[in-house]
Amino acid sequence: MTGQAHAAPREEAPPIEAPREIPPDWEPSILAFACHYCAFAAADLAGVMRLSYAPNVKIIRLPCTGKLDHSYVLRAFERGVDGLFVAG
Amino acid sequence: MIVGEQKPIEELWESIKGHQKVLVFGCNTCVAVCQQGGNKEAEILASLLRMKATQEGVEMEIQDSGIERQCEHEFFEKAEGRIQWADAVLSTACGIGVQFMAEKYAKPVYPGLNTTFLGAVEKLGHYVERCQACGQCILAATGGICPIARCAKRLLNGPCGGSTKGHCEINKDVPCAWQLIVDRLQQLNLMERYEDLAPIKNWSTDRAGGPRKLVREDVQL
Repeated sequence: MTGQAHAAPREEAPPIEAPREIPPDWEPSILAFACHYCAFAAADLAGVMRLSYAPNVKIIRLPCTGKLDHSYVLRAFERGVDGLFVAG
Repeated sequence: MIVGEQKPIEELWESIKGHQKVLVFGCNTCVAVCQQGGNKEAEILASLLRMKATQEGVEMEIQDSGIERQCEHEFFEKAEGRIQWADAVLSTACGIGVQFMAEKYAKPVYPGLNTTFLGAVEKLGHYVERCQACGQCILAATGGICPIARCAKRLLNGPCGGSTKGHCEINKDVPCAWQLIVDRLQQLNLMERYEDLAPIKNWSTDRAGGPRKLVREDVQL
């Protein structure tokens, strides 16, 4: 790119969104995308070993993290997930 | 291919914010190559705009769809339902596709991209201008390097005095088109062509002659 086609610089910077106050009992909702062959197997093993992990983490198994798509990530955020964990 | 660059989300939001049902409509040929306006990018853009609508507290439905080319009637058929559903369309085609679609449908069609130039993929993520569609190709005389598209002054007999160490005076990162032409003619052992003076170019085939049109009666149905 020539760098000439960018939008003209703004005259004033956009207002910065004030961070909302976080309630003390708030827990982020985390979605984990895990590869079937490694990370998901590890999570499975953790289950077999009766290890517990935080209930605000939900796991989705992918055949490979290469299957992860932009749209999965964006759809998760659209539906209110606070963070993603991709493991593979 | 035609290279485009997606407009900032804020600008797109300003275009669509007054509508209830918006279709983000991709064009999966040229602008998909530079990963700016293809069906995939339309899907991503629709998602970003839905989040923007949520943040702004605006009730609106935003869907995405796309076709292979928005500059030909035939391709629109399969997306007809989605297009009819929408109040407004945000097209991520080049300016040609946006206009073509706007002529076809009696609803607002907004551009999602800034159409940038006609270019080539030099390497992944690197798109460079190579042609200005001047309507009268002179590449045969210039060793296959276009001074119209690549020389800042569009010189037909160059280089000018601003050529320094093979680069243009406008920017040291821009190679001098005429230096490239000379190098190429030397490589091809055709330097005698460099001595030929190019005649004055007929610019009526360029934009100077107004909007252009090509009619092929032999291929019409």
